[in-house]
Amino acid sequence: MQQAGGSQSSWVRQYAFYFDSSACSGCKACQAACKDKHDLPVNILWRRVYEVAGGNWTKSGNVWVPGVFSYYISMACHQCAKPICGDGCPTKAIYKRQDGIVLLDTEACIGCRLCEWACPYGALQFDEASRLMTKCHFCFDYIDMGKPPACVAACPMRALDFGELADLRKKYGEMSQVFPLPEAALTEPSLVIKPHRDATRATKDTAEVANWEEI
Amino acid sequence: MTGLAWKEWPLVGFTLLSQTAVGAFWMVAVASLYMEGASGWNSRYLTFPFLAAVVIVLGLATAISLFHLGRPWRAVLALNNLKRSWLSREILFELVFMVLAASLALLVLKKTYRPTLVRILVALAFSASLFFIISMVKLYMMRTVPAWRGLYTPLSFFGTALLLGSLGAAFSYDTLLDLGRKAPPFLDAAAIVALATVVLILLTIFLFTPGLGLFGPKKATLLELPAAKIYPYLLFRLLFLSGTVLFSFLYYRNPSAPLLTIAFLSALAAEAAGRLLFYAVYSRLGV
Repeated sequence: MQQAGGSQSSWVRQYAFYFDSSACSGCKACQAACKDKHDLPVNILWRRVYEVAGGNWTKSGNVWVPGVFSYYISMACHQCAKPICGDGCPTKAIYKRQDGIVLLDTEACIGCRLCEWACPYGALQFDEASRLMTKCHFCFDYIDMGKPPACVAACPMRALDFGELADLRKKYGEMSQVFPLPEAALTEPSLVIKPHRDATRATKDTAEVANWEEI
Repeated sequence: MTGLAWKEWPLVGFTLLSQTAVGAFWMVAVASLYMEGASGWNSRYLTFPFLAAVVIVLGLATAISLFHLGRPWRAVLALNNLKRSWLSREILFELVFMVLAASLALLVLKKTYRPTLVRILVALAFSASLFFIISMVKLYMMRTVPAWRGLYTPLSFFGTALLLGSLGAAFSYDTLLDLGRKAPPFLDAAAIVALATVVLILLTIFLFTPGLGLFGPKKATLLELPAAKIYPYLLFRLLFLSGTVLFSFLYYRNPSAPLLTIAFLSALAAEAAGRLLFYAVYSRLGV
């Protein structure tokens, strides 16, 4: 499962994902397409769909008013501008390609799992069978063939898109952090999000990830 | 991802053993250079069996740490990123310390050394071991792991080095090498360091008070370890720290090998509980 940089688009400086949380239905087709394309083993999900749930019912006079909400966040590796996973890697197995894709050299990886501890997006995952780390590599083989990543192609709601980060920001805005994602300043993810309308209500105290056992 | 604890037994073993070896070396290095120091350094403390034990314990710690790796036979590659990775630096300083301690052992064994050379090697080994522990601390103080980011990590690692190091040095000299009673000031110094460290460790326990230190009024991460799972580790640690203080005091009143052995083993159990808790509280920002 050696990953390396092959031919690549020279004009792209930083590939990025766009995710429209307001359009996502939580069908997990992206997750399944990724797992299928890369033949990922059990317990490894390079793309994961988090179900966020929160809010409560409140009593107003004699009426109970629903204030509950839920939305989905589909996450993979965000090919960060400052990949914290690579900073600590003792073997330099994690590196950025010219087009910003963060790759993992499985020939250099020793499976120390430091990157897994550090990544706040859970993008680095340990494969018990190969005893090595694994991560989403933005389907760089598809990219080099001019095709979209498998997850983007599979989304029936067109909630996922990809492209040059600057172009995506121009098209969709600058947002890259909603609950439960960490502060973008930590790693500067190459990600643009259109938040769900209820995302402004979600915090650590008012909402939770409802499907930890799945991801 | 949260709560590493038992899953990381190789790292519990590695950190405890290597910090013990380093702390014991610090005790002996300082004793050899400064106690009865009018003549420069004191060969009574810096003995071949002790230095050999330091190297063996470090070797054992390294061997145990390999069980943590997915591909242990590639471990040498871990030295590839000295410029940016604290893990690379940790391994480098450990190896340098091992080589220097082994050189000192051979020099002391041959008995054809110059005191100046020994002093230089002791100073270099001391520095390498200090940077080894500092690298270990920095490696765990990740920006994305709030529980490890603050004072807890340096207090834990230096606390273990000082407590197990001082008692380990006393244990190896008095019980294993039967040299201790010839050097009562050394054992007194070890007792003072051990007691001072127990106080330091008790302060780390306060970091777990709800609403203070590690766990503020609001959750820092989504999957923080609940208090109910933290307290058994803390109780176990407090129990064995009490045992350490009690048996150290009994040993002070009536020096005997079994009492010192129990004091050392009790400290080892306390620190093992503390280290398991250290890995158990792992929880990162984000998802």
